[in-house]
Amino acid sequence: MKASWEKTEKNRGVLTVETDEQTVAKALDQAFKKVVKKVNVPGFRKGKVPRAIFERYYGVESLYQDALDILLPEAYEAAVKETGIEPVDRPEIDIEQLEKGKSLIFKATVTVKPEVTLGEYKGLEVPEKDFSVSAEDVDAELKKMQKQQGQLESVEDGAVQQGDRVIIDFEGFTDGKPFEGGKAEKYTLEVGSGTFIPGFEDQLIGMTPGQEKDVEVTFPEEYHAEELAGKPAVFKVKLHEIKRLNLPELDDEFAQDVSEFDTLDELKADIEKKLQEKANKEKESYVRNQLVEMAADNAEVDIPEVMVDHEVEHMLRQFEQQLAYQGLNLDLYAQFTGQDVDALKDQFKADAEKKVRANLVLEAIAKAENVEVTEEEIEQEIKQMAEQMNREPGEVRRLLEAQGALESVKEQLLVKKTIDLLVLSSKNAA
Amino acid sequence: MKDPRDIIRRPVITEKSTELMEDRKYVFEVDVRANKVEVKKAIEEIFGVKVEKVNTMRVPGKQKRYGRYTGRTPERKKAIVKLAEDSKPIELFEV
Repeated sequence: MKASWEKTEKNRGVLTVETDEQTVAKALDQAFKKVVKKVNVPGFRKGKVPRAIFERYYGVESLYQDALDILLPEAYEAAVKETGIEPVDRPEIDIEQLEKGKSLIFKATVTVKPEVTLGEYKGLEVPEKDFSVSAEDVDAELKKMQKQQGQLESVEDGAVQQGDRVIIDFEGFTDGKPFEGGKAEKYTLEVGSGTFIPGFEDQLIGMTPGQEKDVEVTFPEEYHAEELAGKPAVFKVKLHEIKRLNLPELDDEFAQDVSEFDTLDELKADIEKKLQEKANKEKESYVRNQLVEMAADNAEVDIPEVMVDHEVEHMLRQFEQQLAYQGLNLDLYAQFTGQDVDALKDQFKADAEKKVRANLVLEAIAKAENVEVTEEEIEQEIKQMAEQMNREPGEVRRLLEAQGALESVKEQLLVKKTIDLLVLSSKNAA
Repeated sequence: MKDPRDIIRRPVITEKSTELMEDRKYVFEVDVRANKVEVKKAIEEIFGVKVEKVNTMRVPGKQKRYGRYTGRTPERKKAIVKLAEDSKPIELFEV
């Protein structure tokens, strides 16, 4: 077999392949064996037609298509290996010659992985970002816990305050006429939650149970119902009940209730510790992402369109899966948001390009720095996965191998190691 | 009936006949009135080969009915021609 690679454009080229005659003959034989089971020639049972008679009857040409199906993938793969190119797309194939007793010559036009000219990627410095945990963060966390523990209690006498939950009847009128969806009874509303039209909730403040009041508001210009947008409206509101969240005292007792700690101080310390851990993780991933992005920006890559397209498709599929969890599909989503799939693709495009770029650059760095994943590291990773899945490592390994996922595990590790290297060499390492 | 191409009507190409070719035997449908000697001469003239022997057989026509009319399909004669060992083969299909 002969194969030659010729670059035509930056990331495209033509692969010319010539196989030898025997391969063609063999493929024709195989094709014949396949086809012969299906053809009917008078005087012969199915599958018993001799080759010579078949060719007389149908012509050799009828075998070419099937022979190509057998030949091309093999020949193409071998040629790719021989020339050492890295295609990122399906090749466009032109058959130059295919005849019985001759060799097969074809040209494959294919997009290959672009060359990456690495810029600076060592000693990068990520701008500092504050990830420290402040006393306010801890307090906020405490407040959240407090709120969860709080109980709603009816307020018998008193007026509505911000944050109260009120049970109201209301009926809305525009121009003196009631409108659709403007009426409800025994509706529970949290004052200050912003669920209603701006201004509505504020005007409830100060009302007492049993009181009736006209609330005057104006619908916002961008209201979703067009006939109401921008119009003034009057709501007749009757207040039934006020419910107020009764917050427990923040003391040692509270700490005992919500946690295994005895004192509030211990709880606080624990919260701070957890927040700190979270912040550290965030910081780490922030630094890693930034480093990769910077390295990618510094490098020069000419990304072929198809790679971005592939990535966009991939993202779209992932997005679709996410939607499926929520019981939606792309069509429905498109209806809700008023976007079509193409618009969505456009949105993904920038991200996809960034991702492709980052991947290419990381790959190039890994190559330049001779980053390699050892067998032990894979072993280690599988062990971890096994622990997460509660299975035996050997079993997990078999599973991965069966799915052909071992390779991707290796790739992930390689990426991780490469980023590790970036982090170590960066100025943030210290 | 002097023209050899009138004697030999067509080759019989079936699974069995292709198998026989390995033994240098070729099967033809020939004119019912022809005898072995005539077939031998005709084959030798048309294909330029040397015939060792000829076996013939008559294939009676079949009774066929179409509604109330009965009829027969034509009777045929088949000849199995064995070529001499030093003869060149008959190329029934150019490959």
